[in-house]
Amino acid sequence: MKEQKNSETDEFEPKGTMVILLIFVLTLILLWGSVYLILLSRGVTV
Amino acid sequence: MTDKQSMHIDPYEKNWIRLSIGLLVVFATAVTVAGFAFGFQVPTPEDRVDPRTVATEGPWADPGLRELVPGKKYEAYILAQTWAFLPNEITVPVGAEVTFYVTSKDVQHGFKLQDTNINMQIVPGQVSKLTVTFDEPGVHNFICTEYCGAAHAIMFGTLTVE
Amino acid sequence: MLANYEVSQAEKKFIGWHLLFAVIAVAIGSLFGPLQALEHAGLDLYPYLQPLFASYYQGLTLHGVLNALVFTTFFITGFLTLTTIYGLKRPLRYPKLNAVGFWMMVVGLVVTAIPTLLDQASVLYTFYPPMKAHWSFYLGLTLVVVGSWIEGWGFYFTYYAWRKENPGVRTPLTTFGGLITMVMWQFATLGVATEILTMLLPWSLGLIEGTDPQLARTYFWFTGHPLVYFWLLPAYVSWYGMLPKQAGGKLFSDSLARFAFWLFLLLSVPLGFHHQYVDPGVPAGWKFLHAVLTYSVFLPSMLTAFTVIASLEYAGRKRGGKGLLGWIRALPWADPVVSAQLLAGILFFFGGIGGITNASYNVNLVVHNTAWVPGHFHLTVASAVTLSFMGISYWLVPYLTGKKLGVSNKVANIQVWTWFVGMVIFSNAMHVVGLLGAPRRTPLGLAPYIPEEWSGHLLRVGIGGTIMFVGMYMYVYIVAKTAWAKNYEPVEIEVPLADSIHDPQETPDWLDKWVPWLIGTVALLLIAYGPQLFDQISNIALNAPGGKVW
Repeated sequence: MKEQKNSETDEFEPKGTMVILLIFVLTLILLWGSVYLILLSRGVTV
Repeated sequence: MTDKQSMHIDPYEKNWIRLSIGLLVVFATAVTVAGFAFGFQVPTPEDRVDPRTVATEGPWADPGLRELVPGKKYEAYILAQTWAFLPNEITVPVGAEVTFYVTSKDVQHGFKLQDTNINMQIVPGQVSKLTVTFDEPGVHNFICTEYCGAAHAIMFGTLTVE
Repeated sequence: MLANYEVSQAEKKFIGWHLLFAVIAVAIGSLFGPLQALEHAGLDLYPYLQPLFASYYQGLTLHGVLNALVFTTFFITGFLTLTTIYGLKRPLRYPKLNAVGFWMMVVGLVVTAIPTLLDQASVLYTFYPPMKAHWSFYLGLTLVVVGSWIEGWGFYFTYYAWRKENPGVRTPLTTFGGLITMVMWQFATLGVATEILTMLLPWSLGLIEGTDPQLARTYFWFTGHPLVYFWLLPAYVSWYGMLPKQAGGKLFSDSLARFAFWLFLLLSVPLGFHHQYVDPGVPAGWKFLHAVLTYSVFLPSMLTAFTVIASLEYAGRKRGGKGLLGWIRALPWADPVVSAQLLAGILFFFGGIGGITNASYNVNLVVHNTAWVPGHFHLTVASAVTLSFMGISYWLVPYLTGKKLGVSNKVANIQVWTWFVGMVIFSNAMHVVGLLGAPRRTPLGLAPYIPEEWSGHLLRVGIGGTIMFVGMYMYVYIVAKTAWAKNYEPVEIEVPLADSIHDPQETPDWLDKWVPWLIGTVALLLIAYGPQLFDQISNIALNAPGGKVW
C-alpha cells in the first residue's frame, strides 16, 4: 500500500494520539492483569 | 480514479494496529495457558435431566455431599429451586477436592461459591459441573447470582471447610 | 443526487417522533435507576411505591426494557433516518413503509408496557425462560423488533434508489455506517425472533407446555451481544462522521473508518457464547472459539480509538493547540455537543477494558453475574452510547424543531458533566463490589450474606446513581424545554458532516461493495454458530414448564 502525500497542511503526525493510546494500553494491561491474577489466586476448577 | 485509490494507513496507525494485535495475542495466550494447561476451566456439557422429575428421581432426589475418597474426594449434588439450595449447608475437610453437580427443578439460578472460581449458570434440564480443592479452612457462601423470582435475594448456602 | 434537496418539515417531524418516544422511554426508565442504586446503599424506597410498583424487580425490568431496548431503538432508528436521507440527499424511497415500521414500534412499545406496568412481566430485559411473562410482553417486543426491521428495509430501498442514480459515487460515510448498523441488526435479531416465535410466544399462550431454557439462552445471546453494537455503531457514526467537524477538524482516515464498520458487520454477531461461558449446555471448545472471535471484534474498536482521537488531535492543532497533549485543551469543550462525546469516549476506554476482561474466557469466572457486569455495561450503553446521544440531541433537537437550544451551553455542559461524574462513581463502585463477589440483579439490602467490606462501595453505588438521575432529568428538561418552547430564537442548524483529510473517492472500491462482505458475514455465522445451533436444536427438550415466580 503506497503512502500518499496529497495535501499540504493536512498531513501531521498524530503523536499526541499515540501518547493517549499508550496510556490506555498501560491501564488496560494493569486492570486486566489484576483480574487475571484474581482468577489465578482463586484456584483451578477441574 | 482507481490508480489513486489506497487505504492511506498512517504509519502511526499501522504501529497501533500491530500493538493492538500483539496485546490481544498476549492476553489470549495467558488465558489459554491458564485454561488448558493449568485447569482454570469453564463448565462444559455434563448431563441433561428432566426438570419435572429431577427432584424425585435420580441423584438430586437425595441431594447432598457424597464421599468418594475420605478426606480427599467428594461430590456435592445440589438442587436449586425457588428460593433455596438443597442442601444449604455443607461441611468438608481441609484438602478436599469437591466436584459440584448443580441443577434446577424450576427456573434459572446462579451458583457462585465466594472466593473460589466456581461460578455457574444453573439451567433447568442441564447439569452444571465444576471442581474446586479447598486448601485452607474457612467459610464460603454459595449465592444465587441469577434473578429467580420474588425472594431471589435470600437464596444462598454455606460451605464450611474445617 | 437530487439537486437542492432539503430535508422537509414532514421528514423532520417524522424523525422528531422517534426522539419523542425515545426521551419519554428514558425518562420513565431512569426513574428506577436511583431506586435500585439507593436500595444497594441501604435505602429501599420500593415499599413506599406500592401498589403502583410491586417490587425491585418490576422496577429493574422497566429500567432495562425502557432504557436499553426502547430508548436506544427509537433514538437510533430516528437518527439513522436522518443520516440516510441527509447523507444521500434524497427523500426516503417509500416514506409510508418507514411510517409503518415506526408505528409498529410504537404499538409494540405500548403492548410491552402494559403487562410490564401491571407486574405481569417482571422478567428483566433478558426474560430468561422458564420464567414466564404474559404473552403480550413477548408479542410487544416482537413488534418493536419487526418495526425496526421495516424501518431498516426503508433505508435499503432508499440506498438502492440512490445507488442507481449515483453509480460509482462513494456512499457518504454517515449513511454507510447507518446502513451497516441496520444490516447487522437484522442478522443479529434473528436469534431473539426465533426464540420468541418458536418457543416463548406459543408457550406463554399455552400452546406448548414447556421451553428449552438452554436453547433459549443460545438464541437470546445470538442477539444479545450484537445488540450492544446496534447501540454503539450509531454513536460511532457520530464520532467518525460528525465529531471531527464539530471539534473543528476533519476525519483522519475515511478508508479505515469504513473498514472498521465492515469488521463490525462481520464480527458483531458470531460471538454470543462469550455471554454463556458459565452455561452448562455449551461445549467449552465453542466457548473458546467465541472468545477468540470476541477478541477479534476488539480490533475495529481499537481502530476507531485511533482514528477518532487522531481526528480530534488534528482539530485541536488547527485550533492552536501546541505540544504533545496541549491540543486536548484547545478542543471546544464549552460546546456540550462536543464535550458529551469526548466524555463518552473517555468512559468508553474503561468500558473497553471491562469488556476485554469479560470476554477473556476463564477470567469471566471472576466477574460473571456479579455487579461488575452492570457496572461494565453502564460504561458502554449508558455512557459511550447514551452520553453521545445526549450530545447529539443538543444539535439534533434544534435542527428538527428550528428552535435554539432551550438552555445555555453552560447549563447543557453542566448536564453532561453531571452524568459523567455520577457514572464514574457508580460504575467504579459496581466494578469493585462485583470483584468482591456481589451478585447483579439482586436487592442487596435484603440479602443476608452481605459482608461489611461491601458497604462502602454500595454507598457509592447509591451516590453515583443519584447523581446520574439528576443528570438524566436535566437532559430530559433541556430537550423538553427546547422542543416545546413557545418563545424561541429560530435557528438554522447544519447537519455536521465531517470532511475527511483524504477524498473519500480515493477510498478503495472494495470498501464500498456489499456482496463480498455479506457473504463473509453469513459464512462466519454458519461456522461459528451452525454446528452448535444444529446440535442444540436437534436435541431440543421442551420440558421446563416454569411459571410466574415474582
